[in-house]
Amino acid sequence: MNNHKTANAGSATTPRGEFETKHMRINVGPQHPSTHGVLRLVVDLDGERIARIVPQVGYLHTGFEKTMENRTYQQCVTYSNRMDYVHGFGHDLAYVLSAEKLIDAKVPARAQQIRVILTELNRIASHLVFIGTGILDMGALTLLFYTFRERETILDLFEMVSGVRMNYGYFRVGGLYRDIPEEFVAATRKFIAEFPRMLQQYATMFAKNDIFLSRTQGVGVISKEQALEHGLTGPSLRASGVPLDFRKAQPYSGYEQYDFEVPASKQGDAYARFMVRFEEMSESLRIIEQALDRLEPGPVKDPDRRISLPPRSELENSMEAVIFHFKLVTEGFHPPRGEVYVPTESARGELGYYLISDGGSMPYRVKVRVPSLINLQSLEPACVGGLFADMVVNIASLDPVLGDVDK
Amino acid sequence: MSLVETVLRSLKKLSGKPAEFKDMISVSVDRGHIVEAVAQAKAAGFDMLSDIFGIDYLSYPGHQGKRFTVAYNLYSTLSNERLFIRVNLADKETLPTITHLWRGASFMEREVYDMFGIEFAGHPDLRKLLTPEDLDGHPHRKDFPLGETPTLFDDGRFLDPAAFRAGMTGQDKGLTGWKGGVRKGVTSGE
Repeated sequence: MNNHKTANAGSATTPRGEFETKHMRINVGPQHPSTHGVLRLVVDLDGERIARIVPQVGYLHTGFEKTMENRTYQQCVTYSNRMDYVHGFGHDLAYVLSAEKLIDAKVPARAQQIRVILTELNRIASHLVFIGTGILDMGALTLLFYTFRERETILDLFEMVSGVRMNYGYFRVGGLYRDIPEEFVAATRKFIAEFPRMLQQYATMFAKNDIFLSRTQGVGVISKEQALEHGLTGPSLRASGVPLDFRKAQPYSGYEQYDFEVPASKQGDAYARFMVRFEEMSESLRIIEQALDRLEPGPVKDPDRRISLPPRSELENSMEAVIFHFKLVTEGFHPPRGEVYVPTESARGELGYYLISDGGSMPYRVKVRVPSLINLQSLEPACVGGLFADMVVNIASLDPVLGDVDK
Repeated sequence: MSLVETVLRSLKKLSGKPAEFKDMISVSVDRGHIVEAVAQAKAAGFDMLSDIFGIDYLSYPGHQGKRFTVAYNLYSTLSNERLFIRVNLADKETLPTITHLWRGASFMEREVYDMFGIEFAGHPDLRKLLTPEDLDGHPHRKDFPLGETPTLFDDGRFLDPAAFRAGMTGQDKGLTGWKGGVRKGVTSGE
């Protein structure tokens, strides 16, 4: 405390340069609530201002890519969603799209619509975590409980569909694991009818709050040029004035059929990053509503027996079905040789799986282009020159998920 | 004329023949010309560096030529096109950095260095990115052991995980000794 006082008094009365000043290097994390996981930051401070910030990552590195190279294509679905545990369906979708491109699978319309519904619900759940914990970092405790209440409703929907609340593994190469239960559509419709009111409720709690505005507006500004130079993607890039969304730019899984806007801003500050994600939730609702309207009964798997398992009933009286079943279970399918990449828009940015097939039943190389890892480099333009206290806001506004960072 | 075509035309002197597979266009460039090629692509309008990643072709069946490939995944936000620029490398060959073109290349190059041991000359902070300091070797090289424990069964049968999987894919005789085709043991009446 004493030190603090004298430092302030010194800078107020004597001009800079008379003292020999030194940068102070401090270590933040890896275990600190504001880092949203196990992120370590080495920060050089010039008084209260940040002179240099270096993220140290890898504490959660699990070698998912290498593991996937030693599993069959269908088994890999177990691993993809464990990277980004907050937006798991986004990773699942990105993986199955790449594998399907490799093997030319024809995914039925119903499966694609269900995938879109689940991915968008998951995007809302992810943004709810972002807003709740982000504002918690600024000292507002209340909102977190409200956002997690709605997230709970979404997780119940996921449990209804896949049996689990996290690490779903529900998508399969060629379709889905099984059809959705009957009550799912009604429960989802109930959620999308109620949710706009909840969004308004959240807005009354933070959008005009003085503390929130003064902690975010003009803080951590990333210009358009800086964003592109540092490889920023996703909502954070859109907040910096580049309206790039791969759901619009290179539509996949039928996104071209839905009518939705891409919220963007030109400010590039933390406030813009919060508001872009906040507005994205209403757009996701619109997509879910349209997809629910289009949903019609039908198959949810590619009928090709070389890709999807035959139905259980056929196994009892068809020798051929038993053979396909045996081959798929013991060794899986063999895509032709080639290399594919399908970019998708996860809740955090550009997400794509670069898959290389050598003709075997396991991918030869899996490279995941994870958005959180690359986005983390934008901490530098956001933080340098700013106050140390704003670093917490900047980390929150970039929304990294450490499982997605470390793979 | 699309942006990709323009860039491919301007790269003609530096590169090999462009390849296309399922709408993905890639072009190979010599190790010495990679910075020039990427800089030309950037100047022409590929304003976003999406990713840099390595590939180890050591155990790719029938692969000829150099062992490693490093690929640059470029995207243009203006014309919505993607281009992969690839460069082939032998073991211990280095690449020049492109961090002066995109600051964001820093983590990507560090990841390639960490996973494959490919060094980037001129990188301002070339350290491992994801693996721990005390880990020896580069995990994404195909000769890096998986670290699974071989299993010894009660009856003295020994299961080596790598050999077991190799047998499953049919590329190697593995445990069962099956190389594909008709199994002799089933049809012979001995």
